[in-house]
Amino acid sequence: MMSRTEEDFELELRSLAGVLNVGLTHRENGDVDVVTLVVNTKDSAGTQNVASQIASLYYPEAKVVVDGTSHLLSLQRESGSRVAFVRADYDSKDGTCEVQLTIDGRVGLGRAGSGPLIGGAEATLAALRDLGYDIPFSLLTVTNVTNGRDWPVVVTLRSNANDGDRFGIAKADDDMVSAAKATLDSLNRFISTASER
Amino acid sequence: MMPEGNDGLQPETPTNTVTETDGAIEEFPGQVYEPWLFQTMLGELTNRELGVGFIYSILGQFARRHGLTDVVVTLSHDSFGTQIFRLGGQSVTAELAVRLSAEPGVYCEPDKVPAVECDAVRTACQLAMSLHLARFSATHDPLTNIANRRSFDDALEMAAARSARYGWAFTLVLVDLNDFKRVNDLSGHEVGDNTLRQFGFALRQAVRQGDTAARVGGDEFAVILSNVEGHEAAGFTERLRSRLLASNVFIDFTTGTATSPRDSADPAELLRIADGRLYEKKGLRGS
Repeated sequence: MMSRTEEDFELELRSLAGVLNVGLTHRENGDVDVVTLVVNTKDSAGTQNVASQIASLYYPEAKVVVDGTSHLLSLQRESGSRVAFVRADYDSKDGTCEVQLTIDGRVGLGRAGSGPLIGGAEATLAALRDLGYDIPFSLLTVTNVTNGRDWPVVVTLRSNANDGDRFGIAKADDDMVSAAKATLDSLNRFISTASER
Repeated sequence: MMPEGNDGLQPETPTNTVTETDGAIEEFPGQVYEPWLFQTMLGELTNRELGVGFIYSILGQFARRHGLTDVVVTLSHDSFGTQIFRLGGQSVTAELAVRLSAEPGVYCEPDKVPAVECDAVRTACQLAMSLHLARFSATHDPLTNIANRRSFDDALEMAAARSARYGWAFTLVLVDLNDFKRVNDLSGHEVGDNTLRQFGFALRQAVRQGDTAARVGGDEFAVILSNVEGHEAAGFTERLRSRLLASNVFIDFTTGTATSPRDSADPAELLRIADGRLYEKKGLRGS
């Protein structure tokens, strides 16, 4: 079982700006031997320096290796694009949500009633359809994880073809934005596939 | 482990259907959910909290359950950006990371696992990462990554209670940076923040395992030295100075100490005594 110290060590490394992946190899006595970081930052040397400092506190003998991806990621951004959330507004007078999305300079706008939580998800689906996507899913549930503020919202979409539900999770400043982002989260892979068709 | 030229990892396809029904729960009409993940999560939660270790454990059990040799989960969230976890804590290459970071989800050998299960695993992992980060953020200062005021207060209460009950001595050291305002005024807040970060790091290096180092104010730090009497705290001060010099951090500091149970066994009183001694020294220094 991973020790609490090692969990906190890995979390601290993952909290560094641009760190995507942390790999650890161990010595026979269980101590960390080599730490491999995959980072998306222009300052790989800076990240290695800070990561080495952190490692020296937990495992003084550990060696830190950094593998940079920034050059690869910029290439990827040029070759593909994703739907991005722009804004969400809620009209408390009539309980209407309006969500705006964008992809490749195109803008999609969706509106829905049902309050900020369910309305945020419904308006996002409407905005995706406004962008021209055929979304073969319908909204099944929108749940605030603890029924309290500042907690993630989980969205479940039911496939119209009955071939598996999709889940999305997101946390933002308010329930409406969380619901919108969770809806996008649940559809990320689908949208990516759809845009390749 | 994986075929050459192909990492063997493919995203789950949304067209997979859930067909296994043995021991399954019918959650919604026409939709079947495997209870293994929920049972596994409950089992794991008796041994550990939701966090990084939990994610690796879930990936391991997911892989065993489906006979997978490799599995990766990519998570994406405002609070932690994109994070990639691979079975057994293995690293991924930069090229693979770029492909995997494009879309959040579970990546494993194709057509082996229902998409709904992949989504459930990803959601569980995302929750575990978020909660671990939230727990860490709640108890640590974001700039220096040492304990924050809240967890320092808890640690001081606990140390005082132990001291009162068992007579174990500990020394509280309050540390205040000298002329830190000048650093901010003359060199800017970015340099000031970096100085605080480096100071916090030196503090972490200077304390022993079992001691507590915390940032309790803008340029105020506090340390709880376990099993240390007042005069022995000088060793800590010397260690801190030498760490700062070794890191080329040229800022001086003033300390004030109070020892339990000799000075008091009450945490508030200890803080008051240490604070008084600190400002006494500061006054002398100023004059």
